[in-house]
Amino acid sequence: MSEQKTVHFIIERQDGPDSKPYTEEFLVPYRPALNVVAALMEIQKKPVTKDGKKTTPVVWECNCLEKVCGACMMVINGKARQACATLVDQIPQPIRLAPARTFPVIRDLQIDRSVMFESLKRIRGWIDVDGSWEVNTAPIQNPYTAATAYEIAHCMTCGCCLEACPNVGPQSDFIGPAPTVQAYLFNLNPLGSFNKDKRLNALMEKGGITSCGNSQNCVQVCPKNIKLTTYLAQLNRDVNKQALKNIFNK
Amino acid sequence: MFHVTFYIRRLHSICGIVPMGLFLLEHVLTNAEAMGGPAAFNEAIARIALIPHNIMLVIEIFGLAIPFLFHMIYGLYIALQANNNPAQYGYTRNWQFALQRWTAIFLFVFLIIHVVDLRIFTKGGGTPISYALLDEMFNNMGWFVLYLLGMLAAIFHFCNGMTTLCMTWGIAKGPRAQSVVGKLMMLVCAVLCIVTIAFMASYKMH
Ligand code: SF4
Ligand code: SF4
Ligand code: FES
Repeated sequence: MSEQKTVHFIIERQDGPDSKPYTEEFLVPYRPALNVVAALMEIQKKPVTKDGKKTTPVVWECNCLEKVCGACMMVINGKARQACATLVDQIPQPIRLAPARTFPVIRDLQIDRSVMFESLKRIRGWIDVDGSWEVNTAPIQNPYTAATAYEIAHCMTCGCCLEACPNVGPQSDFIGPAPTVQAYLFNLNPLGSFNKDKRLNALMEKGGITSCGNSQNCVQVCPKNIKLTTYLAQLNRDVNKQALKNIFNK
Repeated sequence: MFHVTFYIRRLHSICGIVPMGLFLLEHVLTNAEAMGGPAAFNEAIARIALIPHNIMLVIEIFGLAIPFLFHMIYGLYIALQANNNPAQYGYTRNWQFALQRWTAIFLFVFLIIHVVDLRIFTKGGGTPISYALLDEMFNNMGWFVLYLLGMLAAIFHFCNGMTTLCMTWGIAKGPRAQSVVGKLMMLVCAVLCIVTIAFMASYKMH
């Protein structure tokens, strides 16, 4: 009988939000097209370390398994990625998994990304449809910017870009590239543009777009290939214009 | 709602070119005269000394000292907000981002030493700056290396700062425009570094 091929994982674990991290190593049976989430499922079924010690199953989050929900973001071999879309065949072994520590860790690889939701609220990441006005059929999208809007709408709030951004973290109050760029999406929308000034003013606040230091890691790691730095530059243009309006229009 | 951070950041960005970038270019050009020997260098200094003393003092305080201190102190605060990670994400721009902050911290110390020593103690104490004075100072390898590194760090910080300034002000938006600006500024950086190494080496070559 030929020997079963295995995949070697080194996982940074943590029992609770305030517990000390430790590492454990696992060997997972290899199969073609194995991805990191599927490997974690194997560990869940048989939580035994490389040295044969029984342990608790590793905790992580996932949902769609097709790179659209964003839930499975973690640091794989040093870089923020979606675990469901990372094939073990495509990366060197041993495979090192760690939680994205830009966010608070809940347990093992599971993190709390709710700060991004708070940031989306801060930049007014929605379109106001309710009001004292008449609601008609929706206006058409500008066909010339629709492709851009569609691209930015792909954002799944995974947080890869925040994890890679050197200016996001406990040392800074930067809301990060994803929520910042979402402001541009809603500003592009014909109805959303009514509140453009409010969104730009929100971006000019502390921790807004001025905290970006142009390292451009975000655009490199975004799994949805959103041209984040291009839209950050566009928003920089827009906030500069907004500043002139703020100064000279009243 | 006054967006204090926004205006301070933008002011910090402008200070980097006017006056700091211009003053750096003036330094490179004036010091490059050292390659023509003591007479040429002393002549270049004499030209600057033509500006009347009290006007010069006003320029030095309001045009240089205040903007420099503002850019340095606020810049240090910005640098401390970064968790540099080029070892993890080794992209060119990320290395430049980290270098921008490392040079910032080095230049903070270097500029204080440089200004306190040469402007306040030496020149302020009545000894005019001259080729002979610098030549003697650079005889000491420690000073020589410190000044060489200080100049190179300042040149990189300025050139890379120009690249990011074009992004921060939304001048270069798309990837092509940003990469052209980035390469152009690194070319300027290389030229200025070569000039600096040449005039610094000229002190050691006679
Ligand atoms: S370009 Fe700005 S937002 Fe993107 S990673 Fe760098 S600092 Fe963060
Ligand atoms: S912009 Fe890209 S990397 Fe950032 S949260 Fe959205 S999908 Fe993820
Ligand atoms: S599980 Fe949804 S993106 Fe990976």
